[in-house]
Formats: sequence, C-alpha cells, structure tokens
Amino acid sequence: MIEQEITIRNKAGLHTRPAAALVKLAAKFQSEFFIMRDEMEINGKSIIGVMTLAAEQGSKLLLRFDGPDEQEAAEAIVHLFNRGFDEV
Amino acid sequence: MGINAGKEYRKKNITVEFLFEQNKSRLKLEQLTQCGLENLIRDKNLNRPGLALAGYIDLFSHDRVQIMGNTEIRYLHSLSIEARIEAFNRLLKFSLPCIIVTNNNKLVPEVLQIASDHNVPVFRTPLETTKANYFLSDFLDDQFSPQTSIHGSFVDVYGIGLLIIGRSGIGKSEIALDLVERGHRLVSDDVVTVTRKGEGILMGTGTDLVKHFMEIRGLGLIDVQSMFGVRSIRYQKRVEVVVELMEWDPNGDFTRTGLDQNTIPILNVEVPHVKLPIFPGKNVTVITEVIALNYLLKHYGFDVAKEFSKKLEQVISQKSKNKGKRSIDYFEHDFE
Repeated sequence: MIEQEITIRNKAGLHTRPAAALVKLAAKFQSEFFIMRDEMEINGKSIIGVMTLAAEQGSKLLLRFDGPDEQEAAEAIVHLFNRGFDEV
Repeated sequence: MGINAGKEYRKKNITVEFLFEQNKSRLKLEQLTQCGLENLIRDKNLNRPGLALAGYIDLFSHDRVQIMGNTEIRYLHSLSIEARIEAFNRLLKFSLPCIIVTNNNKLVPEVLQIASDHNVPVFRTPLETTKANYFLSDFLDDQFSPQTSIHGSFVDVYGIGLLIIGRSGIGKSEIALDLVERGHRLVSDDVVTVTRKGEGILMGTGTDLVKHFMEIRGLGLIDVQSMFGVRSIRYQKRVEVVVELMEWDPNGDFTRTGLDQNTIPILNVEVPHVKLPIFPGKNVTVITEVIALNYLLKHYGFDVAKEFSKKLEQVISQKSKNKGKRSIDYFEHDFE
C-alpha cells in the first residue's frame, strides 16, 4: 500500500474535465485507488466520487494505492496531479 | 471483507448558530440576546442548571446546552433581584454554549444583560421542557453520531434498503439503474454516507453535491430524478442488507442454502451480507429483488432455508420407502 499527499495546483480545481482524466487514468491500473479529504474517503476510479470531493486549488488530498501495480499507478497519478492536469 | 468504508468520524462540535437555524421552526425558537452565535457545542447531552443556580457548582456540566425550565425560572423568581443577579453571575462564571428557556418563561432584562456580557446566547421556546429536551436530544444525538462514507449504490427495493457494493466497474450503477427502471427508488449512487443512529440503526444518504446523479459507463452522467421523476428517488433510508457483487469464482465461498446468515460490520453494527457471484447473462436485478423479498419474509418470521431444512429432516426421520416420489400420486385424467 502506498499513501501520498498531494495539493491541487490548477486554478479551476478538480472540476469535471480533470476528474474525468483522473478516473480514466486510474481505471488503467488494477490497484485500488482511494482519495481522502478531511473525513471523506472516496473511490478514485469513480467519477461521481471524485467530483464529490469538490477540491479547490490549494486543497490537500491523500491518495492511497493498493494492489499489484500500485507503484506504477502512484507514479502516473501523482504525476497527473503535479502537472495540474495540464491546466497550470 | 469487501467493504470500502472510509474512516469513521464524528463531528467534534457544532456552532450555536447551526443549532438555532436547524431548530428554530420546530422549537419556535426566539433569540433573546444578540451574541455568541459562534459559540461551540461539543456535547450531545443537555443540562438543567438548577443546582448550579442554587449554589452547588461541583460537577456542573457547563459545556452542555443549558435548559432552563419552570423549576429554574420559579427558583430565580423566588429570589430578590440582587440574589437573582448573584445566582446568574455564579452560573456565567463558567463558559456556557447557550441557554434555552422553555415554556415561554421570562427572564428579567438585568439577567439577560449578564448573559450578553458573557457572550452567552439565550433562546426561548414555547414548548414544555420534556418536549424541547426530546427534540434537542434527538438533534444533538444525530449531529454527534459516528459517520462514514461507503463506495456503493444504495437503493430502496420493496422498502428494504439494499447497499450494493463491489469493485469499481463491476456494474453497481447499472444494477441500481435497472432497479429504478423497475420502480424502485435510488437513495444514492457511488458515495453513500452512513450514520449510526442510536445503538444499532444505520441511516444512509447521498452527499449534498451529487444527490441523485449516476455514472453509466459509456454514457456519462445522468440525473435520475429529472429522468425518472420523483417516484424514483428518496433522500434517506435505513441500511438493511449489503449485497456484494463478485466475479464468479469456482472456488468462491458462496452460500448454497442460505441457512447461515453472514453479516458485515459497518460502524460496528452487523448488517446481513449477501455475496452475489455475477457472470454475463445472469439477471442480477431480479436476484437483488429476491434478496429484498427474502429479507422481508425473514422479517415476518418465515425463513425459507429453515423451513426446507425442517421438512427434509421430517422426511428423513420417516422410514417410508416413498422418498423422492412424485408430488402428485395420480394424474386422474387431468391433462391440462
């Protein structure tokens, strides 16, 4: 299991387009992927779950990967967050 | 264990303003001082400050919402105005979240001024103390209840709250949609917030942002309420059965008789748990309906597996040679 904290960088926050990009990328991996914000924990492979977070710029999220390809999943997804979903 | 439950959490505090806003119409609350709405309530219990007013301040639960009923008010009125002010000052040496006066009782302006000076909001309700206590206790108990969020679809099927869980992409939303199409009611899809009420009741609801939205793979987002109308949704439901969808596995441990009732813990409450293997061509929706009906039957005292097992034992104990015979002895020229 890998846990990593990230910060939302792009101005518009985790809105519909980045949320879709995120779940699409997550679905490519076998590992389970969860996102935690405050007390809320959602499945990172579900678009509605990700949109429920309504994460704005600067908000901190804790990502959790668990499964056979967790290393690759963590790398790819953290990279997507760090690129600000290519919106920065 | 297949439940992807988030961490259990409970609110640490609520503001007096929130308590006021949520209860003002039910309790017909009237605000007697304009201050202290930002004060925090950290305890779900209420307190009657009678003894503290009379001077006994050991064990005074000052951090609770203070309810002043007829007893407290009559006692204050029995005192001279100086003694009244002294008694009230004694009370307000402690930091109180707020004071609620019941039965439309009155407090003199001098006393209200003391409360204002200490930034303690005072409210008044026409309800009698027991009724006000009942409403406020229920509200505070709910606010400080443990909660968690679960990834799954939550549907009311024949009045039974079915929580459908399983890995992402296995088809929870599709089954929920199918159930809605068959006249059942969606509570929430994807993110279900579960709250424990009292000792063993779990109440499930959606989140504020995505009330009755759903994602159908290959289609995108749909809004169930605007598409299927108000009869297809509801806002809250008790969680009664967990249905876990699993890929068919020949070595999987699936029940064949239903004699043993498996359970799964959610917020330390054991909930009936059905593991449902799925494969293409299997009508999972009908099976989930049957799960709900079976639960209803059991609820009304009829357990199919037990009844069948009883009958079997009966036949086994008979020494008859007619075991496994036709259920009709003779067809009697009825060829329909």
